[in-house]
Amino acid sequence: MSLRLRVRFSKVGKIRFIGHRDVARVTERAVRKVGLPVAYSQGFSPRMKLSFGLALPTGYESDAEFVELPLVADAVRDGGAAEPGAKHAAGPVIVCRSGTHGPCEHGLPSAVPSYCTVAEALSEALPVGMEVSAAVLTDGRGPSLQAAVHSCGWEFDIVGLEATAAAKAVADFLAAGTVVTERVHKGETVSSDIRPSVEVLQVVGCSDRGAVLSAELSATPRVVRPSELVPALAPAHEMGIARRTHQWTSGAAGRAEPAVPAMCAQRHKELISG
Amino acid sequence: MTTLWPRLEPLLPRVSKPARYIGCEDGMQRPTAGPHLTSWLLAYPDTYEIGLPNQGLQILYELLNERPDASAERTYAPWIDLEAEMRTAGLPLFSVDTHRAAGEFDIIAFNLSAELVYTNVLNCIDLAGLEVRSAQRSDADPLIGAGGHCAYNPEPLADFVDFFVIGDGEEVVAEITEAVGAWKRTGKRPGTRDTILRDLAGIEGVYVPAMYDVSYDGPALASVAPKYPDVPALVAKRTVADLAEWPYPRRQLVPVTEVVHDRLSVEVFRGCTRGCRFCQAGMITRPVRERPAAQVREMVTAGLERSGYDEVSLMSLSTADYSGIAELVRDTVTGGASDDANRISVSLPSMRVDAFTVDVAAQVSRARRTGLTFAPEAGSWRLRQIINKLITEEDLYGAVRSAYSQGWHRMKLYFLTGLPSEMDPDTEAIAHLADACTRIGQEYTKRASVTVSLGGFVPKPHTPFQWFGQNPPEELARKVRLVRSALGRSRRVQLKWHDPAASTAEGIASRGDRRVGAVIEYVWRKGGTFQEWSERFDLGLWEEAMAACGLSLDWYVYRHRGEHEVLPWDHIGAGLHRDFLWHDWQDALAGHGLPDCRWTPCYDCGACTEYGIEHMVASPVAPNGGSQGTGQDLATGHLVPVELRPRQLAGAGAPSGGGA
Repeated sequence: MSLRLRVRFSKVGKIRFIGHRDVARVTERAVRKVGLPVAYSQGFSPRMKLSFGLALPTGYESDAEFVELPLVADAVRDGGAAEPGAKHAAGPVIVCRSGTHGPCEHGLPSAVPSYCTVAEALSEALPVGMEVSAAVLTDGRGPSLQAAVHSCGWEFDIVGLEATAAAKAVADFLAAGTVVTERVHKGETVSSDIRPSVEVLQVVGCSDRGAVLSAELSATPRVVRPSELVPALAPAHEMGIARRTHQWTSGAAGRAEPAVPAMCAQRHKELISG
Repeated sequence: MTTLWPRLEPLLPRVSKPARYIGCEDGMQRPTAGPHLTSWLLAYPDTYEIGLPNQGLQILYELLNERPDASAERTYAPWIDLEAEMRTAGLPLFSVDTHRAAGEFDIIAFNLSAELVYTNVLNCIDLAGLEVRSAQRSDADPLIGAGGHCAYNPEPLADFVDFFVIGDGEEVVAEITEAVGAWKRTGKRPGTRDTILRDLAGIEGVYVPAMYDVSYDGPALASVAPKYPDVPALVAKRTVADLAEWPYPRRQLVPVTEVVHDRLSVEVFRGCTRGCRFCQAGMITRPVRERPAAQVREMVTAGLERSGYDEVSLMSLSTADYSGIAELVRDTVTGGASDDANRISVSLPSMRVDAFTVDVAAQVSRARRTGLTFAPEAGSWRLRQIINKLITEEDLYGAVRSAYSQGWHRMKLYFLTGLPSEMDPDTEAIAHLADACTRIGQEYTKRASVTVSLGGFVPKPHTPFQWFGQNPPEELARKVRLVRSALGRSRRVQLKWHDPAASTAEGIASRGDRRVGAVIEYVWRKGGTFQEWSERFDLGLWEEAMAACGLSLDWYVYRHRGEHEVLPWDHIGAGLHRDFLWHDWQDALAGHGLPDCRWTPCYDCGACTEYGIEHMVASPVAPNGGSQGTGQDLATGHLVPVELRPRQLAGAGAPSGGGA
């Protein structure tokens, strides 16, 4: 079974200004620093095979970024069976500790990352503002993260817009049958109706810049960004900071996120025992 | 001391590459400021992605922050889009570490790696909210410093920079910190700026232009003489004797966005005595000081582990000359990993072709193959003797064969054109060499190709070619066309060349005297920043500025200098005897080669004898054999006929090195 480690991380503060390719580069270096036993591509230029979820626009913040790291065979073992100091050729073995977060009960040297310390170790290796909140094992079956995500949750503020004005703008927006906006795509101005992509939109508070809105925007047929809503809601205002709060996929029991902190132990147990 | 981040943040979504301005590197320091600390703002006057990897700046950044009496932050030239936003918003130049205003630092110190950044230096001083001319700045303003290779001719920036550091910076920054710290503790009282400048002028290796009177005799420079008896007539460079005492950077900055050299860098030696006569770096950084192999290995291992990089560059002016290079590369590539995926890529900048053996090629190619650049510099053996780049065609073909046989498909060959005594057959020989290389490549792969990169030669101070009259742009352009037509329709050779017009502007600044400062200011005031970026460069602006200042391009750039002419950098000591340089210039014209003094007897250039230091090399013989590694008999060089009788260019009225 070819296991993958699915990692959820944030991107907040100054680091929000790095681009998607930059995120890939810093993630790759962090994985090497931690020494995770990830698989590389074959050929003359072996590269780490990282796969990310939906790209986050440069300048946006997020609590819900995802990356999947394909692991080499035998990279994961149950903690009870692990040899102290066991190492895989491609790096330390990831050892299961059955969801316990305390000190390692198997007497393993600290250089061997146990399953539950992977998140901490990656957070430590990533730049400030990128923190890992969950690391879960998956079996690598099913569609890619990019294909599986059908909508994203967002919070964003609009500079200088008061909450009451925002509430009215939101009500008007939701009442409209169509909301046609223009954007520049590959050098050309394209008009499109964004109304069908807005599943949820509400005013949730006020920041020191202005009204804070929360939205759920669909990712198909194309990803609509919060910044596209602002000209329709408040043409005279600029968006402040947008933060992605969720990436939603379809699960067995309704919608679900690719990884949340609580899933860590349970998912892992199932995969190891199965 | 306040951070400007809240004012900068709203501007960043509007500019390209905002990650240039956020800092956040692994290895970034968050120094505190205080009255007891001398605060340095280390400035690289080009974009972040070019400046961040600079090792000199990173070494000083760490050294200063380790001191209990100093703090150091960094800044880079904001790109034109952010500059416009900053000027509109009234936001001054800031550090990327804590986003403090540049004007709050005690010292703003610029790294000068290339002449075309000079207008950016002025722009950064201006963006800091300061007067660009030193004489107009007040006591409380930061002191403006500069160092790096271009500081060896400080005169073009003498009116703008308060002090220059000549040579290695590791030791001298401590002395400057102490002097400025003492002045700071007295409160920088009105009228005391001259006192601190005079104190700085007393530090070995520090040049304070305001302490010197300059006189002219018509267009000629007559003298640069100290105003006071305690100010040295000759400012001699600083040299650290033993690189082993300076294992820096220990925590190389790992950027969060892409930069030009995005890999670990470990300096394996400093200095080079190959004696290439066009090469300023090889002349001013003598003698050779190797880092002990054990320390190199330690720095590589610790650096890779800490940074997460999978590529390391072994840095020097000619890395294949490092004693035990093949073993070092082998150990580095393997690095303890047992499988292919975790192998470390090694990049070797400045590889001499006579040292790139199959062995080295095989070691490098065990990991992901890095780009390969060879620099024959000149197309013909005749011309390579004149420039003392003593590699034969067989050397080049051997290196190229090594590379193709080990799996490379493509390599880059670097050449200079417009060299002294260069005649058309020499120039055309570049095409023949490149073509021959691709034919060797085809024995190994159908995809074999070569990129020829052609640079216009700009004579540099403190080299044997400092007296040579540079080719005008028309002549350089003609030589580029010669190479292009000699290449014919070859699809296997791709030709790239530097803008010949940019070489002229570089020439103005390279060998200019203090009067050129007005030209730089003129170009800057007309918006001529980022002149090393081809889309921003404008020779017309430089010509206009020269005319406005009453200066002649022919005088400053295209004319040959005589033996006894006072040169603008004569009061700066690079350790080289002037008569050594002159004789080497005469030997060049006679086609005489000069061996590498690391492995052959000393010819007393002055670099060691004047400083009481010596080469520090682990091997008494060249790692790859022979004098200059070629096994060539250097004595036969002068049998090759050489002439330096430049053809007059129609219309240009200036001499060039060409002959038809």
